[in-house]
Amino acid sequence: MQSRQRTLLVIDDDRDVREVAKASLELVGGFNVIAAESGHCGLAFARRARPDAIILDLMMPDLDGRATLAQLKQMPDTADIPVIMLTAKVQANRQELLGRGAAGILVKPFDPMHLSDQVCEILGWESSGDKRQQHDRNPES
Amino acid sequence: MTGIRNHDKVKAALEKVWLHSRPEAFSRLATLEGFAEELRSGTAHPEHLAAAELAAHRLSGSLGMFGLDDASSCAAEIEAVLCHQSAPDITVMAGLVRRLRNLMEGTPPTAKIPHKHDL
Repeated sequence: MQSRQRTLLVIDDDRDVREVAKASLELVGGFNVIAAESGHCGLAFARRARPDAIILDLMMPDLDGRATLAQLKQMPDTADIPVIMLTAKVQANRQELLGRGAAGILVKPFDPMHLSDQVCEILGWESSGDKRQQHDRNPES
Repeated sequence: MTGIRNHDKVKAALEKVWLHSRPEAFSRLATLEGFAEELRSGTAHPEHLAAAELAAHRLSGSLGMFGLDDASSCAAEIEAVLCHQSAPDITVMAGLVRRLRNLMEGTPPTAKIPHKHDL
């Protein structure tokens, strides 16, 4: 049976990061990806689209990643959506961000060929790589 | 086969993104070069320091996606110098910014993406 295509919301004010993440997650991971350029847009998209997970940049102007994460966790309709934080300063922030409810941390710059696998690993999802291996073992399935 | 097709598609997508983001990346480099020059001439402005920090942060976070790993690391070094030193060392800053330009001009984008036969 064909499984439902998962939707990811990428929130980052850097257009390059949004575009590369979207291409990578769609082409390698087979996800449906929507992207938002600010924390405010991200909150609106999250409430409307109810994505399966959110990838959220930490350092953004206006509403930054911490504030956006806090609001996502406060709103009943988005509180259960896992949020992966995207940051260049992982060492200093890791425990603090996990303590605030983040599901995991992704480090910038990410490798576009492996981003999907990293997301799946954090969320405990089967990755497209797993599926390919499974298919290679049992092509009839 | 799927992996190879995806590889080609991702590489094409990255090249397309790099094509329109390259001018912006070099504009950020120019911001850093301008601030290094201000440091040298003793006219560095606090607002320009903030702009330089942001430029270095953006470059360190994005260049690596396009295979410019060394340039990304160099930008991270510049960001660290700007963030953690109240008076950034003029010589260090100038050297790092010069190195960053060489790395950005010298490395082909998406060099990190593996060859098809590696998949």
